[in-house]
Amino acid sequence: MFFDFHVHNSQLAEEAKRLGYNGIALIQSSRNYNKPDDINPQDDFSIWTGVEIYAKNPDDLRKKVQKFRERSDVVIVNGGDIKINRAACEDPRVDILAHPYKNRRDSGINHVLAKEASQNNVAIELSINPMIKTRLSLRAKILSQFRQILKLQRKFKFPLIITSNAYSLYDLRTPEDIIAFAGCLEMTHDEIISSLSKNPADIIKRSRIRKNVIVQGARTIEQGD
Amino acid sequence: MKLKILPPTLRNDKRYISFEAISEVPLCKEDVIPLVWEASLNFHGECKTSKFDLWVMRVWSSKSSDERNIIKGILQCNRSEVSSVRAAILLVNKFKGKRVVFHTIGISGTIKAGIKKFIKLEK
Repeated sequence: MFFDFHVHNSQLAEEAKRLGYNGIALIQSSRNYNKPDDINPQDDFSIWTGVEIYAKNPDDLRKKVQKFRERSDVVIVNGGDIKINRAACEDPRVDILAHPYKNRRDSGINHVLAKEASQNNVAIELSINPMIKTRLSLRAKILSQFRQILKLQRKFKFPLIITSNAYSLYDLRTPEDIIAFAGCLEMTHDEIISSLSKNPADIIKRSRIRKNVIVQGARTIEQGD
Repeated sequence: MKLKILPPTLRNDKRYISFEAISEVPLCKEDVIPLVWEASLNFHGECKTSKFDLWVMRVWSSKSSDERNIIKGILQCNRSEVSSVRAAILLVNKFKGKRVVFHTIGISGTIKAGIKKFIKLEK
């Protein structure tokens, strides 16, 4: 079972299914969010809704997470700024921190953030899109940032997620090709499979039980649970 | 004088990658060859690409519409470097300023099997 949790266009669902994915999360920007209503549920293919939060500062981020958490299955924070990266890693309501390395020389994650992400189950995203769109030195720089994140992941065990960040069908790649590509980054087969399959499934599992959680560690159990 | 053909035990082991390319402009075999080579040279470098034994065997044009042109083809490579070649062709994204994407459809041990299983030529 493979999932792509960062797709921006609802028309890509058909193409993602053809390429071998079992589900996608349709992500909208927090700047112009409106709950999509043209999602056609299918038997063997799941479509979830999500929001990518663009925040000016940590306070703004917390407000926006509060606002969008109930409305969407997946909450993604657009990273890059070190304060935003930290606030996202410290918030258990955030599912994914997207490209923490964006516009940075370092990876945007250090041992402190890695520990926080691990405690709060915030997945760190490795996106294929910037790899495709860049060339030579810039691509090498992004690969090096990926390797830094991987090194921290192996020590602190925060969830890792590989996504396409696709806007058009030209940005989507087959899961098998992504596995081959991640293998070139010296990721083990288990690490790749959990990034494409287990970790996205865990996010959805947590999202389903979230409304029953009273405080961290305690939730109401409905009859039949 | 032509070189004598190597005995099978001394030949390199090969695999055939069946691929599909979707592009905004129609592509032919002469366009695919530099695209694949350039992607591999950029990503892996000259030294590693030399191990791949890359060869674009055949290309077939498939369904096309105004904005989407699809071709299918077979790429020969070294048996031990299949995943590196897949990773390289994943990174192809532009041809003459127009968008293009390569998807691997499958891997086979012979061209015949690749055509039968993955290319599925219309009769």
